[in-house]
Amino acid sequence: MTPIGFLLALVGVCVVQGAAGARLTVAGVQPDLFLILAVGASLGAAPEAAAVMGFLAGIYQDALSGAPLGLRAFTLTLMAFGAARVGRELEASRPAAQFALLLGGAALAGAITLATLSFFFGSPPLLATLLRVIVPETFLTAALGTALLGAARLWRVARKAAA
Amino acid sequence: MSPALFRLLSRHRRGAVLASALLVAFLSLTLQARQDSAPATFAKRALLMTVAPFIKATAWVGGGARTVWREYVDLRGVQGENRRLRGDLQALQQRLEGLQEMAQENRRLQAVLEMPGPPAGRRVVARVIGKDATNWFRTLLIDRGSTDGLERSIPVLNPQGLVGRVVEVAPIVARIQLITDPMSSVGALIQRTRITGIAAGDGGANLRLRYLPLMTDVAVGDRVITSGMGGVFPKGIPLGTVVAVERRSGALFQEAVLDPAADLSRVEEVTALLPLANGAAALEGNGDGRDRPR
Repeated sequence: MTPIGFLLALVGVCVVQGAAGARLTVAGVQPDLFLILAVGASLGAAPEAAAVMGFLAGIYQDALSGAPLGLRAFTLTLMAFGAARVGRELEASRPAAQFALLLGGAALAGAITLATLSFFFGSPPLLATLLRVIVPETFLTAALGTALLGAARLWRVARKAAA
Repeated sequence: MSPALFRLLSRHRRGAVLASALLVAFLSLTLQARQDSAPATFAKRALLMTVAPFIKATAWVGGGARTVWREYVDLRGVQGENRRLRGDLQALQQRLEGLQEMAQENRRLQAVLEMPGPPAGRRVVARVIGKDATNWFRTLLIDRGSTDGLERSIPVLNPQGLVGRVVEVAPIVARIQLITDPMSSVGALIQRTRITGIAAGDGGANLRLRYLPLMTDVAVGDRVITSGMGGVFPKGIPLGTVVAVERRSGALFQEAVLDPAADLSRVEEVTALLPLANGAAALEGNGDGRDRPR
């Protein structure tokens, strides 16, 4: 993804998550589009570029939420860097494997955010946070992420066929 | 930069970029954890301002489209609804007359008792244009900001009850921390028994009314209002209704679960209560820490 493409996608995600996030919710939980963007954009990128993209996605997510600035930036930097490392495997794998990898990634992102929040601002109630935030968000984000990866693959195949 | 350092950084570019990004995030969090949040607040406001116009425009277009659709759908049942509304209006007018009488009586009694009346500051009506971008916090973005007179800690309500308070202000938008946010707490008063407690957000859809003495009378169905303690929220704004009471063995206090008076999942418009020019300090005050923004 080019830098301009990433910035446009970032603005798009900000608008969608900010203005239409309430319409994307399932049982009060919304998918984490910033995580999907950070991981998706990092798949074919160099790890250092992925870290920058993850940081930018995270810092904008912080700015558009009540989170302290840096909370999601810290998490998404690590996730994007990791995604760039496993990018080829994730892109080439089957949807079930992609879903499993994204599930693990989203759960890890939730765990990193929880650990960072606890370290700096005190621990939120663990069970309630797991049940209300991390688990539903993980499943929703992994499902949407797998669907978007599948759509991106179909788009590439269609473009190749057209060429 | 010396050539040796440049070569070293080039060789370890990946690690250097990753470490720099993590370090910036870590430093920002450290500053905010130590309450020195001015640079972080400024950065957050600047970042918000780069995307706020797009969000505002999208919300405006979406709102317009929804209004057109709603008006089209509404036209179909408008006659029946009109009849029903006329009936409602008559009933409400009768009720209003009764309430006006009570308000006059209340004013007379307040004058007799020399009690201060409710705050008469300017009200700013704002539209909700965005929701929190994470599931970790409960905040809303509104389409009014510092140019409309909004400041931090200003109470925000809707016709049903208290919605929250302003926690971040940019020139054209502001962020409200909902009363259900895990970092929010509001001084509360049970209307029936006059017992005070602290209504804290539980991160879900409800509030938890804490620090209620064990032997006090709290029952399901009790209405809870703001206590006015802490100086942020005026007294008497509806907070919610008790839906459960929890008494744990060995605990010093009992807790109650509140269903918020305002339906916070469907808030579309809110009213911000601006302080009076000479009353601004009172609203900023946070003496006993009961009304506590993050």
